[in-house]
Formats: sequence, C-alpha cells, structure tokens
Amino acid sequence: MAKLGYLPKEKLTDFLENLKKKYRIYVPCQDGDAVLFQPFDGEKPLCLDRPATVSPKSVIFPQTDILFSFDYRKSSEDPKQVSIELTENLDFPETVIFGSRPCDAKGFLIYDRPYTQTDMPDIYYKGRREKTTIITLACNYPSPGCFCTSVGGDPADKEGSDILMTDVGTGYFFEAVTAKGEEIVEDAVFEDGSSYQEKAQAAHKAVADLVKKPFDSTEGLPEKLLSLFENDAFWEAEAAKCISCGACTYLCPTCYCFNITDEQAGSKGERIRSWDACMFYHFTLEASGHNPRPLKQQRLKNRVGHKFSYYPKKYEGAIACCGCGRCIRSCPVSVDISEIVAHAQEYKDEPSK
Amino acid sequence: MNQVNNPYLPELATVKKIIDETPNIKSYQVVLNDPEKMKNFVFEPGQVGQLSLFGVGESTFVINSPPTRMDYLQFSVMKAGEVTAALHELAEGDPVGVRAPLGNWFPYEEMKGKKILFVGGGIGLAPLRTLILFILDNRDDYDDITIIYGSRTPPDLCYKEDLEDWEKRSDVNLILTVDAEYPDWEKRIGFVPTVLSEVAPSPKNTVAITCGPPIMIKFVLEGLAQLQFKDEQIITTLEKRMKCGIGICGRCNIGDMYVCKDGPVFSLAQLKQLPSEI
Amino acid sequence: MTQKKLKEVVQKVLPDVDMVIGYRQGFDPVHATPFFVTRPEQIDELIWNPLCVHNLASYIPSLTTNKKVAVIVKGCDSRAINQYLQENLINRENLVVIGIPCSGVVSVSKVLKAVDHQIIESVSCENHAVTVKTSQGEKKLSVSDVSPDKCKTCLYPTPLVYDHLVGDPITSDKEPESVYDEVRSFEEKSLEDRFQFWKTELDRCIRCYACRNACPMCICQDRCIAESRDPHWVTQKTNQTEKFMYHMIHALHLAGRCVECEECTRVCPMEIPVAKIKKKINMEMDQLFDYKAGLNAEDTPPMYTFKVDEETIEEHEL
Repeated sequence: MAKLGYLPKEKLTDFLENLKKKYRIYVPCQDGDAVLFQPFDGEKPLCLDRPATVSPKSVIFPQTDILFSFDYRKSSEDPKQVSIELTENLDFPETVIFGSRPCDAKGFLIYDRPYTQTDMPDIYYKGRREKTTIITLACNYPSPGCFCTSVGGDPADKEGSDILMTDVGTGYFFEAVTAKGEEIVEDAVFEDGSSYQEKAQAAHKAVADLVKKPFDSTEGLPEKLLSLFENDAFWEAEAAKCISCGACTYLCPTCYCFNITDEQAGSKGERIRSWDACMFYHFTLEASGHNPRPLKQQRLKNRVGHKFSYYPKKYEGAIACCGCGRCIRSCPVSVDISEIVAHAQEYKDEPSK
Repeated sequence: MNQVNNPYLPELATVKKIIDETPNIKSYQVVLNDPEKMKNFVFEPGQVGQLSLFGVGESTFVINSPPTRMDYLQFSVMKAGEVTAALHELAEGDPVGVRAPLGNWFPYEEMKGKKILFVGGGIGLAPLRTLILFILDNRDDYDDITIIYGSRTPPDLCYKEDLEDWEKRSDVNLILTVDAEYPDWEKRIGFVPTVLSEVAPSPKNTVAITCGPPIMIKFVLEGLAQLQFKDEQIITTLEKRMKCGIGICGRCNIGDMYVCKDGPVFSLAQLKQLPSEI
Repeated sequence: MTQKKLKEVVQKVLPDVDMVIGYRQGFDPVHATPFFVTRPEQIDELIWNPLCVHNLASYIPSLTTNKKVAVIVKGCDSRAINQYLQENLINRENLVVIGIPCSGVVSVSKVLKAVDHQIIESVSCENHAVTVKTSQGEKKLSVSDVSPDKCKTCLYPTPLVYDHLVGDPITSDKEPESVYDEVRSFEEKSLEDRFQFWKTELDRCIRCYACRNACPMCICQDRCIAESRDPHWVTQKTNQTEKFMYHMIHALHLAGRCVECEECTRVCPMEIPVAKIKKKINMEMDQLFDYKAGLNAEDTPPMYTFKVDEETIEEHEL
C-alpha cells in the first residue's frame, strides 16, 4: 500500500528544514512579481497558491550548462606544439523539487524519452534526473489558460512525481508514488494520512471538472496537423500576431531545444549548452545564409507540429504538451496554442472563392 | 561503438595533413590522439562527424575517407561561417576534437550487384567520395560505376588527384563537366543536371546517389525522374544546421526525422513522406 | 460608443487594405489580443477598451513592404509610426493609420495583483474604471490606479499621426516636466542601492528577448548582437554580467529612438521593469539634444546625425 502522510501546515517549514539536511531543495518563491523555483533557505516565503512563472525544468536542465572546459597547453619543449585538456563535471547533488504542479512533473517525462531512452543518452540530464525527487502539489483550481485534461493530464496526476501533495485545508495530504517518495514520507514529522485520502480524492475530481477543454481529444491530431503543413494561409493567420520571441519556449515544461557554444578567454574556455528556441529566426539559419524556416509562421508551425505531431509520431502517440498554459499567460500577445490546435482539429477544406 | 559515455565530449585528435582542394575548400586528414581508439574506430560510409575547434565551436562534416582506408579520417571544409573560417586557419599538427561517427549511412549492402550512378556538384562530391572509394575497394560486389561530377570552374573541382585516378580506371566511367568555358579546359561544358540528361543513364538495376548545392539537387532529381528512376532508387544526403548531433537539440528536424540521427542519408521515397522544409 | 465608431471606420477602410490590425477579446476576461481582420464578418469582434494595451504599430515594418495595412493606434503607439517615418522603415503609402484618443489602459500585472491573483471570472470597463469579478466578489479599480507607468505621465493621449480619428481628441493634463519624475526620484538613491536594485531585478531575466521583439524600434531583432558570434560581445551564459550586457546594449541602441510605449516592461514574463532603463536614457537625450522620439515624421534622431557643433551642447569656449 502506498505510504500516506499528513503534514499540518505549521509543520511545513520544519519538514523542509529536515529535508534540507539530505537534499538541495527548490521551492517556489516570490521574486519581484514573479514566482520562481529557488533554493530553499528557510527565510524567503514560499508561494504555493499559483503555479510558478517558469517551470522547474531548470533544476534538471539548467539554462546554462557547462558541458566541459578546455585548456590549451603549450609544450614547454616546443611552444609550437599545443595540446588540449578537457575537464567534465558530472557531479550532481541529491535534489528535491518541492511544490511543482502535475503538469510540471509531466514535462520531465517528455524530456526522458529523447534524452535517456536512446543509445546515446544525455548524461548531464540523466545524472541530474536520477538524483532528483519531485514532490508535486495537486492543483486546487485551474490557472488561466491551462488545459491539462485535454492532453492526457489531470490536476492531480501522479505520473512523473515521487510524491503527490494535496492541500486539505489544515495541512497537506502526502501520497508517496515511488520508492523515493516513500522514503521521504517516512519522516517522523508526518502523521498517518489515510483518513484524508477520501477528501483529497473528492477535491481532485472537483478540480478536474473545472479545467477547460479547448479541444476534445488529440486523436488523429498528428495526421491532421501534417495534412495542414502546406496550408500557408492557415499558418499565416495563426502566426500573424506572434512576435517570434522565446518566452513560450523558455517557460514551457516540455520544451527542450538547446544551443552549444564555445567561450574562450586566453587559453582556457568552456563549451556550454544553453536554452534555445525554435521560434527564433536564427535557430535553423545555416552558414551559407540559407534558412529553411525564414518566416515566423513556419517556425510556429514547427513548434506546434513538434508538440502535437512529430513527437507523438516518434513516441507512440505521447503528446509533448502538458497543458500548463504558461505559454498562453506569458505570451506578449496571448498566442494560444490550445486555440491553434482546436482550429486545426476543426479545419475543413473550403473551396476557394 | 566509438562513442564515449559522454556523447558531447569530443575525442582529441591532431591534423596530420591539409590539402588545398579548391580556393575555398580544404581537406583535413585527422588522426585520433589515442592510438587504441584510432585502431578501433569503426564507421560506415556516409556517416558524419562533428569537428571541434575548441574556443570556436563545432561543425558537421561527412567522413569522406572510406572505412576501408583507416590511416586517417578525412573531412573536407568549405569556408562559409565562423567555425569553417577558423578551421581554414589551422596548420598541420594543430589539435582538434572529433565526435564521430554520427548519423546513418549509405545502404551499401542493398546496393550490391547493382549499377551505381553518382551525380555530384562542387563539395557535394565529399559524401560521394567515401562511398566511391569504399565501392572501389570492394569492386567485385558492384556492377558498373558512373560518376557525373561538375563544378563552376576547373579550379573548383574537388579531389583532383582522385579524379585523375578514376579517369584512368577502366572499371569506372567518369564524366567531368564545368559550368562554362574556361581556359585550358577541353572536357565537357554544361551544368550537371544538363549533362545528366545528355548522358541519360538507364535506371535498370541502378541506384543513383546525388549530392551538391540545393539548386543542383532539385534539377538532378527532376532529371532522374524524367529518366524513369523510381523514388526508391534515388539517394541523397542532406545538410542542416546541427549542434548536438544526437537528435535532441531540436534544430535539424524535418517533421519527425532528425537529419543528424535519422539521416543525413535519405532515399527520395523517404523524403517525399516528410513535410517539405529543406 | 467609441467601439461602435471604430467598427464603422474599419468597415470603410477594410476594402482598400489587405488587413486591419486591431484588438479582440483574448483567452481570458482580463486579456485583449491583437486581431488581424481580413474579412468583413470579423469586424464585429473588434473591441476598444482599457484592456487594449499592445502596441500594434510594431507589426507594420514587416508588412508594409508588400501589403497594404491599416492599424489601430493609441497616442503612445503613434509615436512609433512617426519614428518609423523618421528612420525610413515603412512604406507610408501602404499604411492607413486609424488613431483612437486614449485616456489610459490597464496593466494586467497590476490588475492581477489588485485581486491577489484570484481567478478572474469577468471584467467590465466603464468610465475610466474596470470592475473585476473573482470568486471573492467584485472589485472596482480606477484605470489610473492599475495603469502602466506611462499613462501616469502621458503627454500625447491623442495620436500624433493618423488618417482617421475615432473619437474626439483628448488633451493631456500632465505637466511635461513630470515625464521623468520617476527617473529623478530613483536617481536620488545611492549608487549602491540602485545597483542592487538592478542586480536583483535583472537576475530574473531569462533572455527570452520578449522585450526586444515587442519593441517597435528593434527591427534588427533577427540579427541581434545578443546572439551574434561575429561580432561576439555577449556569451550565452545566464549570469548577471551577460544579462546586464544585453540590457545595456539594448537600451543604448534605443537611445533617441525609444518612444516610451513601455511594451518591454509589459511583455517581460519575469516582471522586470526594463522600461525604466530606457526612460533614463531618454531623459539624458532630452537634456542633451532637446529631443523626444516619435513626435513628428520630419525630425532626425540625434544619434543618426553628427554635428561638429551641436546646437544644444555647450562643449567649449573658443
């Protein structure tokens, strides 16, 4: 039977302080007017009443990651002879993400397939992922724009989390999902949680019914989107207001594109991996000057296509969008990916006038 | 498997020889510093590698020496952007990094017993070269070989030594061409697609492999279709801006296929199933 | 009423253009969104109210090369059009400007804060106020309480350039000197305090370039120095130095060009008040060159010219 625990709200800080002895913890904190996942220090107040502005993906997939550093060494016998020393750092600490939402946790499942289920796994991502425990807070209300239930998710989805927490008023109901989670719920600060299980489940169902459904299902969507690939008019209309920045991509729990650049000062330098966005003009720009996607509608088509068509095609129908709605909320012009998908689903070829 | 545990960590290597192929193309013969790794290096014709210049960056090039000749790995570099310009400044003995082999390769097993038609332009001869040499090293496994290759001008022809070699061989039919009249050029004149139509090779039991500038490929594919070549008989290699080389950074995709991992070798039949964004 | 008049004007204009760019209701009650009208049956969806914050002029440069475009602009937005004309960035013959005098818009961030980030069920706009309904009840907010900083010191409520004016002109009741009041009061803080402020604020920056792409004057956004390898001034690291570098370069490139539409602050997903930096530089430009961007189409931006003896700068006595 899964380990169930109850933590009164006034004991939350104690619990986190205790956890901090073993793990580096990331919690959602208010920073200016934004809510960001930051290291828990016991002083900054937590902000749990709304999803964080950015998903916690930077904990496992930092915005800048040093792949390795290099050093050009001149031989003392023959200065013309140069050798290079490469140094990797693959030391990752035990980490807890506390207070993510079910959509955030699902984001990591999207990463897992291309990054780890391959013959050449990404050892930086894999290393951090294996050392991270995710304690997710079930939503008690949908956020503006979110639509997790349309993409196979749920405001109390356990998939991808090690523990699911539910706010039951006076405290939190903790449900361990994995062995990692069970270990944590064994902490002495927890009371037995079984009496809260029914209340939590009822709350979950109530919230799920409130989540809006901009489109019915993703059945047949990959093929429908491919059928619209040559429809320039459709994509021109959908992308007209897009300003081609990277806000949607950088805030998204499932976006995983990156760039690799070298930086050098003197004889030393680093090869770094940094977040990149397929929405930028330069993303596919080739040295010859040729760009396969020079227009923003082609880039938007690729982003929507990747999430709802290409990724599902590669991975047995799995949709690479968790429905968190961040892209919609934070978009400078409110481009709404769920609306675009709904339009694609409904699209019928009309005879041209 | 040559890949180290860390797919992003290049193998340290040294440039042993630099060949000036054309005014803007150089070939680099590179040897891995670790002799064991060099000895055990395995790759298939058509696979690519990421050549690293630490401090500048990486760029993708086909390994254009064949796996049957493993004294070195050869990469040919056309000066175009930041990394290629910096590579052109290298001297013999300079250190580089190599992440290889990456991507897929030419289906040379299925090509056995068939006639092979190579159609290349400019630096497009590079990926063809690895397969041509591989086939010449396994000559009996294959039927007739025809190579149609051209460039803008005679100085722009790549691998001039190889071309001389192939011209002399009786078991290779080499047809060279340049775009326009040029002093001391007595061979054919004409764009590669035009020459293809003039030569009009038969599609019977033939595999056609083409690589070159996008505009040339476009017309060559049309020409091959007119000669009744089926889509499954035509193979090409694609180029895209690449970074990770292992199919996850998201930028080299055409639909759900990643050119660095599911390519760069594609048959025309496969390409036609993908959305058109080349 | 203005909304009705607006629809009538668009009805008249639409047949002569490829599209009319305006606003319609967005994904939730407190958001409007840019709306590209290409067919008459879409006109009814157009709205005009204090939620219409976006600077639609930003879309013009990429469109007027080969399309005929009509755009709806407020006073602040119209300054961008004048600036485009000064810099020769748009084809005026392909542009129809529909100006709407504006008495202030709302900042969605400020509205959300005012209702403690409760889920907003409905918003109604009337008489310089927005009434916001959440599960906690109704809250009436005066527009000036939740407007972006620019509205508090707005000198140009009536568009400075237009082909059609929807509604009666509005005159500003603000003191011209007050435009840079906030800059001056911020400068009263010590250097350490100011530096700490920006270190804290810019630390949140994720270099998404929403500020750059939303800026009407950043027309070189596809070839930006922030991502360029040649010249290579900024790395892709996300430490404070790089973020400062990007924001300073961005602001300096806008010296004498920033029309103070404050889109940069509005669109920042991390809620960083980046417009303040540009406002400071604008104040300097105003003092040095007696110049504000976008006031008319005939001016020349000071950084576009060079004079050995600048009229407004006392350099030396010979």
